[in-house]
Amino acid sequence: MSQTYNPTAFMNNADTHSGVTNAKLGVWLFLASEIMLFATLFTSYIVLRMASSSWPWGWDVLNVPLATLNTVILITSSVTIVMAYAKAYDKDKAGFQKWMAATILLSLGFLVVKAFEYGAEFKLGIGPHTSVFYAIYFTMTGLHGIHILGGIAVNAGLLYMSSVTEHWENPLFLGRVEGAGLYWHFVDIVWIFLFPALYLL
Amino acid sequence: MTKNDDKNHDEHRPDVGLYVKVFLALMVLTLITVAISKIHLPRPQAIALGLFVALVKASLVGALFMHLWGENKLIHKALFITVGFGAVLILPIIDFVMVSRRITSPADVAAQHPGGHGGHAEAVSESVNLEAPAAPKGH
Repeated sequence: MSQTYNPTAFMNNADTHSGVTNAKLGVWLFLASEIMLFATLFTSYIVLRMASSSWPWGWDVLNVPLATLNTVILITSSVTIVMAYAKAYDKDKAGFQKWMAATILLSLGFLVVKAFEYGAEFKLGIGPHTSVFYAIYFTMTGLHGIHILGGIAVNAGLLYMSSVTEHWENPLFLGRVEGAGLYWHFVDIVWIFLFPALYLL
Repeated sequence: MTKNDDKNHDEHRPDVGLYVKVFLALMVLTLITVAISKIHLPRPQAIALGLFVALVKASLVGALFMHLWGENKLIHKALFITVGFGAVLILPIIDFVMVSRRITSPADVAAQHPGGHGGHAEAVSESVNLEAPAAPKGH
């Protein structure tokens, strides 16, 4: 059976003969590797916690109200990015830009709140060296914060791209928005587990 | 494949009403998570309940925001393999820690060394002092 050679097929986000585009499959495989990364960190957390003679309550040593505020911010940003996807799907440029800008602002808000939290701890001389609890706390929340930064960079890139009309004509654009959304929801899910594990339980 | 074909079979049609409902559910579940930690349940029950609520929240985000509900089977398979390998790597370690914790508990060490004065258990306890320092009040 002969196949027609089409050198621009990849430009149309060619699928993998399974109904999934290469781009989406790539994002999901990347997220799978991220799941393994955070799973090993959570395992370290569990091992350290179980091996310790005692473990502090988050309420006693961390700022739970600020962390709760950050949880609300991150969940809200998950909704704003999915709204941005809905607007991109409808090719509503202004709507997309509004919701994506809201997502970026909320992400920056998360980092500002986190900076206040870290700042108060550093001012008291508390750091990763203080105890095993704080070592795992700073490692996990720090790595999560780096992921937030990565998400902001990608979302800001998409916001910039949306201002160029030709991107709206490119079939890849909606896939990129969906991929950025998948990554952002994953970052939200990580925080959903970090929040009770470190702050509440 | 045309652009429309691609959209029809792969990209998910957004449902704004559903997103708003999920958002409200996530907010309520966040309040429940905080409330669980405030009612001073015994720690194992508090952890089990807190993580169960977190699992429900993560499932809502994964199924409805990430569109895993109704997603292509290839994605489901990739995630299933990831979780499976993760479990194979992680569960034995956790099981080992649970077993080693039982056999090195102060009560167990005292039972193994009936003639001692609990010195070994105290030494273990002191050498593995993982407690956090006093609360950073004022922030």
